[in-house]
Amino acid sequence: MIRKPIPARWSLALGVLSVLLLLAAYTGLSLWQHHRNPDDTTIPTWSQLGAGVKQIIEPNARDGQRWLVADGKATLIRLFLGLLCGIAGGIVLGLLMGCYPVIEALLVPPLSLLAKEPPTAMLAVFFVLVGTDTEMYVAMIAFGILPTLSQTVYLGVREVPAELLDKASTLGASQLEIIWSIIARAIFPKIIDVVRLSIGPAMVYLIAAEMLVGDVGFGYRIRLHSRLLNMNVVYPYLAVLAAFGFALDYALRLLQRYCCPWYVSGEK
Amino acid sequence: MKRHCWEIALIAAIALLATLGLGEAFGAAAPTPSFSLAWSEYPSWSTFGVAHEIKLINGKKGALGPIEKKWGVDIELKEAEYDPCLVMYGSGKCDAACITNMDALNPSLTRPSVAILPNSTSFGADALIVTKDITDIKQLRGKKVYGLAKTVSEYCFVRNLELLGENEKDYVFTNMDPAAAALAMQQKQSGFDAIIVWNPFVLETLNRRKDVRVLFDSTSIPGEIIDMVVVAQASLDQPGGKAFALAVIDTYYAINQRLADPKTADETLIALGEKFSHLDLQSMRKVVKQTRFYSTPEEGLKILTSPSTQEIMKKVSAFCVSHEIVPKAPTIGFGDKTAAPNAAFRLDPTYIEEYLKQEKSK
Repeated sequence: MIRKPIPARWSLALGVLSVLLLLAAYTGLSLWQHHRNPDDTTIPTWSQLGAGVKQIIEPNARDGQRWLVADGKATLIRLFLGLLCGIAGGIVLGLLMGCYPVIEALLVPPLSLLAKEPPTAMLAVFFVLVGTDTEMYVAMIAFGILPTLSQTVYLGVREVPAELLDKASTLGASQLEIIWSIIARAIFPKIIDVVRLSIGPAMVYLIAAEMLVGDVGFGYRIRLHSRLLNMNVVYPYLAVLAAFGFALDYALRLLQRYCCPWYVSGEK
Repeated sequence: MKRHCWEIALIAAIALLATLGLGEAFGAAAPTPSFSLAWSEYPSWSTFGVAHEIKLINGKKGALGPIEKKWGVDIELKEAEYDPCLVMYGSGKCDAACITNMDALNPSLTRPSVAILPNSTSFGADALIVTKDITDIKQLRGKKVYGLAKTVSEYCFVRNLELLGENEKDYVFTNMDPAAAALAMQQKQSGFDAIIVWNPFVLETLNRRKDVRVLFDSTSIPGEIIDMVVVAQASLDQPGGKAFALAVIDTYYAINQRLADPKTADETLIALGEKFSHLDLQSMRKVVKQTRFYSTPEEGLKILTSPSTQEIMKKVSAFCVSHEIVPKAPTIGFGDKTAAPNAAFRLDPTYIEEYLKQEKSK
């Protein structure tokens, strides 16, 4: 039957099963590959992967750094600075566009154009305009997520019921009070939604840029070790990226549920 | 009615599978063995792309050009950036690849490989470019030098430091893509006083910024960075593997003949440079001097058999081990399979010799 619900236990078991199947398939694939070529490093066995993990978390013999720590620090700083600028800018612009038709008329056309420009396609433009230091990563992420984010905020503001705004005005609220006490609150859960959706693209832009100009960071390490065919270093890095993205997403969902239960419960 | 839809879909699916299966069977009936060669845009490697353009070979799988017909083998060309070429070759997604002697070591640890054809050597194509105020290498101590880490760029840098009696530890080699590093220097971004890059970025940077110069380059280490075609031993052992090697060699020297012939030289040169960069004919002439072609079978043989190449390979291998480019040094052999049966990476002159023999017997 279409959409017939299944017990919660079942859905948990099936979820676990699918992950286990994936791992089993990988094990089979790597065994088969090592059967064909015992020296293979492209589809590493679990023990090779273990050695790779050891390599990235233990201090490196040559430079004494723990790769994962050094790369994680660099990439996280770039990512959070970029997200911070992009989100802050997007919210401010979105609010202004939603509240004031002058700004709306001014900014909607360029932003809808820019929203369709993939920042990875204009990497060279960023190098030319902002150089290759931290500013470049921040600018790239911020620029990449800002147009879509501001558009979503802008649409959210326009959806705030006019009666609410009229009522507040009648009760004597100032413009700032209306924006802060009504609009901002109404769109807050939507902002969390769009931030969640922005993390993925932000990571895409960051990793792409790091692959080209980084001398430390996830993108740098992944490109370097792909070239050296050390896939037992590459796969753990990919796993860390996935786990990190998932954790961040989950944290934001918790925040949303905690701060705006009215929004989340309305969903179901 | 609904039922019928399902039946029709099922029958269609079965029919599709059957045709695919039959297609495979027919494909096997036409026994031209097919081998793939991964290549990236670089003066001596673009020869294969140009050979496809001027229809000496047909780089598509299943289609044969005159050279392929002559040797009875299908060459499938796979063009990619250099990094993906290395990954493709290392993971067995192609039979052969255009790579440097240095980058061949790592894949050969897991996939025994044979260098069948040296294409060219860097003779100025890798260069350290510095701003005018830097006149001595010692001024670069503690300053960042930008280049792509663990590649021929770093090798060229470290080898030149060695030759100058400098200690590598006093210098800060910083990873950056050569295109990005060249761009930064052309823009005069602060901190970019020294970059080590390869062509076309060397010539482009020198053309666009008059106040920079070459402090040292690969002319001081001639023959140490060799661009070559490397084929997996397993592919050579397959039926048609040898014919593939000979066809690749034939293709390369056919283009070199066109470069030597005054009638076709310029257009071939332009064709080689077309996708490489927007350097003009004049600059391209310089490019092929800095990427010195081993343009005749005799020259190629000399490289594959000379004792100095053996010395060079030792040096390169030691560099790769000390810079963690390879986990361990591969055994390097010279000569044919019987001469070095256990070599992971073998420089084998017998394919060019065989090609010469067959050409002469005509």
